[in-house]
Amino acid sequence: MRFGGLTAVRSVDFTVNAGEIVGLIGPNGAGKTTFFNCLTGLYVPTEGTVSYQGTVLPPKPHLVTKAGIARTFQNIRLFANMTVLENVLVGRHTRTKEGLWSALLRGPGFKRAEKASEERAMELLEFIGLAHKRDHLARNLPYGEQRKLEIARALASEPGLLLLDEPTAGMNPQETRATEELVFAIRDKGIAVLVIEHDMRFIFNLCDRVAVLVQGEKLVEGTSDVVQADERVVAAYLGEPFEPTPEDTQPAAEAESTTSTKGEAQ
Amino acid sequence: MTETTENPQTAATAPAAQRGLIPLPLATARALLLAGGILTTASTFLRWTWTSDFPGDLTVNGYPGGLQVLTLIAGIITALFAVSTYGVRGLGWLLPARNNAPLVLTALSGFAVTWYTVISIAAELGGIVNWEPGTYIAAVASLLPVIGALAFPQDATDSTKEALKAYIAKADHVPAPQATAPWIQRLAITIVAALGLTVFAYGIDAEDELFIGFLIVVVFTAWALQTAGLFDRFSRLTADNRSFALAMGFVAAIGFPFTQTNDHYANLGVNILIFGTVALGLNIVVGLAGLLDLGYVAFLGVGAYTAALVSGSEFSKFSGVQFPFWAAALTGAAASLVFGVLIGAPTLRLRGDYLAIVTLGFGEIFRIAVNNMDGVSGPDITNGPNGIPSIPDLSFFGFDFGQNHDIAGFTIGRFANYYLLMVLISALVVTIYRRASDSRIGRSWIAIREDETAATAMGINGFRVKLIAFALGATLAGLAGTVSAHVTYSVVPNPYQFAGAAPPNSAFLLAAVVLGGMGTVSGPFLGAALLYLLPEKLVALQDKSLLAFGIALILLMRFRPEGIIPNRRRQLEFHETGQLDVPDTTTLTDEPAITKAGA
Amino acid sequence: MNTLPQQLANGLLLGSMYGLIAIGYTMVYGIVQLINFAHGEIFMTGAFGALTVYAYILPDGTSMVVAVPLMLIGGGIVSVLVAVGAERFAYRPLRQAPRLAPLITAIGLSLALQEVVRNFYPGADKDRSFPSLDGSHDIGSVTITDADIFLVVAAIVCMSGLAWFVRKSRTGRAMQATAQDPDTSQLMGIDTNRIIVIAFAIGGFFAAVAAVSYGLKYGNIGYRMGFLMGLKAFTAAVMGGIGNIYGAMLGGVVLGVAETLASAYINHIPGMQQLGGSGWANVWAFCLLILVLLFRPQGLLGERVADRA
Repeated sequence: MRFGGLTAVRSVDFTVNAGEIVGLIGPNGAGKTTFFNCLTGLYVPTEGTVSYQGTVLPPKPHLVTKAGIARTFQNIRLFANMTVLENVLVGRHTRTKEGLWSALLRGPGFKRAEKASEERAMELLEFIGLAHKRDHLARNLPYGEQRKLEIARALASEPGLLLLDEPTAGMNPQETRATEELVFAIRDKGIAVLVIEHDMRFIFNLCDRVAVLVQGEKLVEGTSDVVQADERVVAAYLGEPFEPTPEDTQPAAEAESTTSTKGEAQ
Repeated sequence: MTETTENPQTAATAPAAQRGLIPLPLATARALLLAGGILTTASTFLRWTWTSDFPGDLTVNGYPGGLQVLTLIAGIITALFAVSTYGVRGLGWLLPARNNAPLVLTALSGFAVTWYTVISIAAELGGIVNWEPGTYIAAVASLLPVIGALAFPQDATDSTKEALKAYIAKADHVPAPQATAPWIQRLAITIVAALGLTVFAYGIDAEDELFIGFLIVVVFTAWALQTAGLFDRFSRLTADNRSFALAMGFVAAIGFPFTQTNDHYANLGVNILIFGTVALGLNIVVGLAGLLDLGYVAFLGVGAYTAALVSGSEFSKFSGVQFPFWAAALTGAAASLVFGVLIGAPTLRLRGDYLAIVTLGFGEIFRIAVNNMDGVSGPDITNGPNGIPSIPDLSFFGFDFGQNHDIAGFTIGRFANYYLLMVLISALVVTIYRRASDSRIGRSWIAIREDETAATAMGINGFRVKLIAFALGATLAGLAGTVSAHVTYSVVPNPYQFAGAAPPNSAFLLAAVVLGGMGTVSGPFLGAALLYLLPEKLVALQDKSLLAFGIALILLMRFRPEGIIPNRRRQLEFHETGQLDVPDTTTLTDEPAITKAGA
Repeated sequence: MNTLPQQLANGLLLGSMYGLIAIGYTMVYGIVQLINFAHGEIFMTGAFGALTVYAYILPDGTSMVVAVPLMLIGGGIVSVLVAVGAERFAYRPLRQAPRLAPLITAIGLSLALQEVVRNFYPGADKDRSFPSLDGSHDIGSVTITDADIFLVVAAIVCMSGLAWFVRKSRTGRAMQATAQDPDTSQLMGIDTNRIIVIAFAIGGFFAAVAAVSYGLKYGNIGYRMGFLMGLKAFTAAVMGGIGNIYGAMLGGVVLGVAETLASAYINHIPGMQQLGGSGWANVWAFCLLILVLLFRPQGLLGERVADRA
């Protein structure tokens, strides 16, 4: 992915398996969020593809979500003037198909689908513990609950892979702890989770595997222990310049921005 | 801050800091308010002038006429609120928050309408010699409640300006109503619907001075009810009994032509209804999906022209063709739909501002094209500036819309026939609006409006749902256009422009939505009624009406962008507040029922 | 008279006028992302300002050589005052409001300005005649008038002046910075309010130049002249790539030429005999806009902007 002359992410090859929590860390500006945006179709990668369960995904956010990848945002992007329940119902969009006609005619099918959607949404709200606030406007929730609601909204699209962009940013230790529990609970539902985070302790507690992104490239990937032990990671975080590997000097090497993401069908 | 509460707990905490703007004991203030209200009421039974030259005939002792009736009503309302301050059982609901503003505003309503009458008697008949003793009594009596109301104690403030502001501010906290039996709730809705119909019918019939007086009373009274928190309570009531409220609204709308003896007023009614229905269609596009459509009236025009072409009018290019109405309506709606998709498809992929300008261009192009298609400067389709006249009246199953009909002793004229047809179409559009907004597609419209990026990340195909909203809006306008072609006998290019002195035009349609309240059902109808009636009735405004309209739009956006009837979401969007907004489904009774943002 | 070079020249002239007005849209949009819908009316008030100077201030029989610069100043003052006033009292209070609010305000402002002129300017309820410069010159097969020469010179001077200003002056650079990122610019010590006012003022002045050219060329002005000209100029700004000042000029010229050629030649295309002539020019201009939006939505010189997540 390039912006003008700047290459933000290149040659990041990445696989997430079902039921796995993978962490993506890296210093500020390493290209983590850009990588997310490429994955979810918000940015069209300059080169390379994203595939999910073996199929290549088109760079259209709504199709990516439909295929089973859901995300949250670094700076919370809830539908602020909709209620908590409505927010989650919007997340159900791809898993329901009632169009304008059925909304206007209100046949039994429509009512059934609305009821089922609402039940499912309420289950999710129970799951994250916001069921009692179903009719509050999202903007009026405290910060931590907004984060949770965003996760519930993403889960409503029944993803196989959930992308969390800094889920604990701005949280106190207790809230971070609760989020950790929540992510484990999500994994236990069989959903693969990819987390971007700055909080090292959080990541190393949580993740089965961690990848480090530095200056748009994947530096190392492995279990928490492997990554923690890698001195290049420490160097990158302490601000030492990242030595380019030989192939980076050739422009052709930038061509690969392949991201293959594998998960298993629910 | 505005709360002068008789509530035992809070009254104990801050009794010292309370005083009235006019220093009078509370008992005196109350007495003045009540006595003034009653006196004002009584004064309308005296004669106010000696000659019947003044409109409304104010010369009869013992029987109020014209503007006196308005004074009478204002006096009664003032007295009712006054009695309510005494804590009389059964009237407590009038002042749920026990605040001063409703008292001040009802008092002002009586004062303003009385003095307006008194001054216009002197001005129109030439001098105060035309006043009778009754006039003096009325003038003095209507002043008393104002003094009384301003003497009611409130929290002390530093400046007089602040104090005055506090006297007309809405209560911060309106307590939740006690639970009432369903039949009482329904009775209340029925009474309000009947009152609404009466007020509307009265306003539409009122001319000149009477209309101004009517406006004074309605504006002040509505303001008073709003500050008292009664509108909030009523909207909760209708939310709890939604189907019943809609049914009552429908019945009241049908009842309107039966209150009218002159078909001219039914004509106003049908035009308002067409205007309002089109505005509601626009509300789907603007209020729900957040798309700014500045050429909406062109879709009305497409529908109207299509209907005219297939109406069987001898001036139509296809004069031999006469579709039955249902087919014409469908054709008109379909034609608008086609144009809606043609305009929407290239533009809805882009930022919203482009849509505004493309629709604006389309609106203008439609008029120019229709103007040119006269066979001389363009293809011969629409007769150019002359339009298509002599559109025949509709006829359903032998029911000729052009004829008078007697129904249950009431004579229903031509316009009333169309009015009733239009009520059905409005009901259809209201149903479409409500069903669409409360569904998967409606939620995705709101989501797109709130945050398009997040919405697409949730799997919503932004382009697709926006196109559906835009096309649906266009279709509904086309449908209303087919009726409007028959009502006005002819279609000409001129009304279908961006801005003009008379509705409907795109600017007025948008203004009706914005003024009434974006994202609400009743807002566009209220906005349409106001924007149609004000230029129609206020002859004095005449050619300044567009100027006033433009200035009003600017002021509206500056000071009350959420419109007269605010949508809950919209209001929060315009006024950033951190307040909790807890709707009625919560189980906690002590939380504020509906918290007003802003103020 | 109706040769191709003549038509091209006509289109170019019309286009420069669109371009001058389009600058106002594009500068304001580039900085505050607001469609100043009332800009067409700012153009219109400029014309009336210039007329005021000519008809009510200058003595009868003043030479046009003296009168035109004074009219330019008069029109400029009026347009700039209206533009800056609109920014200060109508738009600035709404800067944090949802996008719809300033647009609706702009519509109200546009109507109010038209009506003020119509109701209160003497004789403005009908078109008023404007001193025209109609001395004509033949250059080859092309005939142009003095008004056309004025327009071309004015457009070139204004555009080069603006290009210099934006690139070289301190304020111009601050303006570019504000367009990129208003919040950061403010942190860097740029007074964004001042920059916005300057953008409105420049737009207003350019509109006044266009308005004087319009009057000199067509010989009459009216309170409704701003609506269609404004709409076309906005179209030009979008076609050129909104936010880009060179794009605005280019878009204006493209639009003017396309429109002129369409109304002159489209009736020669079989099957479209009745769709030529000036009556349809606006329709073709609109179709062109739709085509540009379909195939190059960022405009001829515009860049795509991505939404940050």
